[in-house]
Amino acid sequence: MAYETLPKTDVVIIGGGWTGLTAAYELAHTGQRCVVLERGQKRHSVTSFGAPEEHDELKYALRYGHMQDVKKETLTFRNSRDQQALPMRRLGSFLPGTGLGGAGIHWNGQIWRPLPSDLAMRSHYEGRYGAGFLPDDLSIQDWGVSYDELEPHLDFFERICGAGGYAGNLNGAARAGGNVFEGPRSADYPNPAMKQPISNTLFGQAAERLGLNPFPMPSANVTKAYENPYGAQLHPCTYCGFCERFGCGYLAKADPIICVYDRIKDHENFDIRFHAQVLRVEKSSDGRTATGVVYQDEDGSELFQPADTICMSAFGLWNVHLMLVSGLGTPYDPETRTGTVGRNYAYQTIAAVDAFFDDSVSTTPFMGAGALGVVVDDFNGDNFDHSDLGFVGGGYIACKQYNGRPVSYQPVPEGTPAWGGAWKHAVRENYGHHGDMVIHGSSVSTPENYLDLDPTWTDAYGRPLLRMTFNFPDNDRKMSDYVMNRAVEIAEEMDNVTSVSSFNLAAEGQDYSIVPYQTTHNVGGAVIGTDPQTSVVNRYGQMWDHHNVFVFGACLFPQNLGYNPTGPLMGLAYWTLEHMKTDYLQNPRPLMDA
Amino acid sequence: MQIAPGALATSAGILAAPHPAFAQHALAQHDARPWAFVTDDEARWLAALCDVFIPEDDYPSASQAGVVDYIDLQLATGYGRGDGLYLEGPFPAGTQQQGYQVPYPPAQLIRRGIAGIRASDAPDLTALDQSAREGFVERLSQDTGTYDDIPAKVLFDELLGLTNQGYFTDPIYLGNYDYAGWKMVGFPGAHAYYLDRVDDPGRNASPPPMGIAHDRAAQPRPPRAIRKDI
Repeated sequence: MAYETLPKTDVVIIGGGWTGLTAAYELAHTGQRCVVLERGQKRHSVTSFGAPEEHDELKYALRYGHMQDVKKETLTFRNSRDQQALPMRRLGSFLPGTGLGGAGIHWNGQIWRPLPSDLAMRSHYEGRYGAGFLPDDLSIQDWGVSYDELEPHLDFFERICGAGGYAGNLNGAARAGGNVFEGPRSADYPNPAMKQPISNTLFGQAAERLGLNPFPMPSANVTKAYENPYGAQLHPCTYCGFCERFGCGYLAKADPIICVYDRIKDHENFDIRFHAQVLRVEKSSDGRTATGVVYQDEDGSELFQPADTICMSAFGLWNVHLMLVSGLGTPYDPETRTGTVGRNYAYQTIAAVDAFFDDSVSTTPFMGAGALGVVVDDFNGDNFDHSDLGFVGGGYIACKQYNGRPVSYQPVPEGTPAWGGAWKHAVRENYGHHGDMVIHGSSVSTPENYLDLDPTWTDAYGRPLLRMTFNFPDNDRKMSDYVMNRAVEIAEEMDNVTSVSSFNLAAEGQDYSIVPYQTTHNVGGAVIGTDPQTSVVNRYGQMWDHHNVFVFGACLFPQNLGYNPTGPLMGLAYWTLEHMKTDYLQNPRPLMDA
Repeated sequence: MQIAPGALATSAGILAAPHPAFAQHALAQHDARPWAFVTDDEARWLAALCDVFIPEDDYPSASQAGVVDYIDLQLATGYGRGDGLYLEGPFPAGTQQQGYQVPYPPAQLIRRGIAGIRASDAPDLTALDQSAREGFVERLSQDTGTYDDIPAKVLFDELLGLTNQGYFTDPIYLGNYDYAGWKMVGFPGAHAYYLDRVDDPGRNASPPPMGIAHDRAAQPRPPRAIRKDI
């Protein structure tokens, strides 16, 4: 199709979320002229997310006001290759954002670091349990970058967010009250941990009595007035209970607009275009590099933006989609198990435990925050002995109080009917007497869970939809069941609890469903590594096949760890940017030999 | 809605039994506000269904709290028209895990579904007493068949979800009248600032509810009266 060619820029960045705006900030300051292409609208935390209008459960939590429009872009889904994938006609299981700030606007602010062993999952398990320990049907692999290498970058992102928490490992010394399993921190959190409501406190006390190690959840819901290293001002969280699926008008949840965009928007090297839908990446005639991107502007015109360097900073799934429709890299073929783009798609394995208190414990679920929780990490990663368990991986158990929005939050004991008088009575009786626990588990990669292009359906731009083939691996079903039962033990130990119920979304016999919300932690599909046969990008986030294309986001994860992805993926982003700034841009070339 | 004045002489003629919010609306029987989308017949059918989902007890029933008004507004606006819904064909049948695969936006889904049920051998829901209505809804929830081309399960889930939303979402959308749902659970609403008390279990009383457009001097209009005798 004919398109207008725009003046060349140094760097074009696809997507104006956490990674894209951060790339623009860091690269603009090294003299690179950056153009950010954002598919959604301009918006600002101050003017767009103010209360009380933002506190509209229907508009934002249930009708997905800040999320991407599936009329324009969606995917098809099936559980296995023998099914026909059908369009995800409505959002449900996961909620990618759109507009300035991307999904970084409606996140909860749970800001984690990977465990050192998470980043070397295959070699860690083989080293501890023997070479044959990992089953053949898992395509688990090392990230190719170590915790020590990422630590300064993980630390810096925590400073950008003004994270609140309590270090459990300061320069190798364990501290009770923090996460004693975490990797060494070079410094404590920039802000103190959040205040905890009664249900979370009772959970922590019970966990301690069981010999476990509870600690406050690391939080990007800021606990004190704070200025980040870019000069952004953040305010103390109000515990309003409208974090996840909402923007924060209090400037109290770190987001890419206040933390990054405001600090770069006036820079002479920074340009951002809204309603700029990138359609494909163009390759040079020899295919070794990319020459720029074609996008559609607000008027429907197609424009070509040439650039020396390309940063793919879309939501992970759409990075993979762009690679597939642009012919970047080699698509993964599950039949031959060759190719890499779309390989090792993984998710997050979620289970829930509900504790119901007697009348002596009144909770106030509407006083909440996205990262308001007390956590036990004793059953995450390889923090516990897996010798005889029959699975690898794990998850954290958190008692959290993140919202009491009355459509979304209707805890009722097991056996309650789904409607009618008994249901109504149970909703009324339990709303203020409930402890809310989640088991946030890892997700291993397998040869049968992958992304490719759909043969039937197209998006609003005429491109084939992405096709997702995914079901819970048996490994994760067992893992989730095991960790959930540990959470049940804690719940039963909690004071004043009258009943406990549990629900494993990955229970035996239960196929993954695209319908109920689980998490927006879609990972993999363009994974990082040291072997071009099994990774799309090298350990610096640079595409093996096109050295001027750098890839950001959770699509890089070779399998999913038991933590929320924003912290780890931003650690990777700063690691990649460091190597771009100090090495690649002076001498553009492949940074590793294929 | 054409309503004969004085037809409310017997309370059996109207689904909504008296409760405080309703009592404020003494002239409800004269309510002639037109619906935005549904017909009077559909409104009566929806009210009968919703009041099985959320019956009256110490707190209002669904229709008393404006859930039919809420559903009507939803079907008339973006949600009903299919905003946020990918409707490109073809439409082969899928698995439960693949979600919504009906070739209609929700407003058409619900209109066709209700018409399909009413045209079937099933008894007229609106003519049944409350106990028989409960049986009807229980059977509908288990129904694996289709009405016209609408799977009963899809219709049922959509209506149950809408009813729940209508009872508990902000009153700016016409449901949750007089904060019925919020008062029931103790949700204080959209104006939220709890920094000074989140960790104090001694201060756990819910403040009185305040919605987005809260104005003590200008309450939203009460729900329409829904009668079954016309």
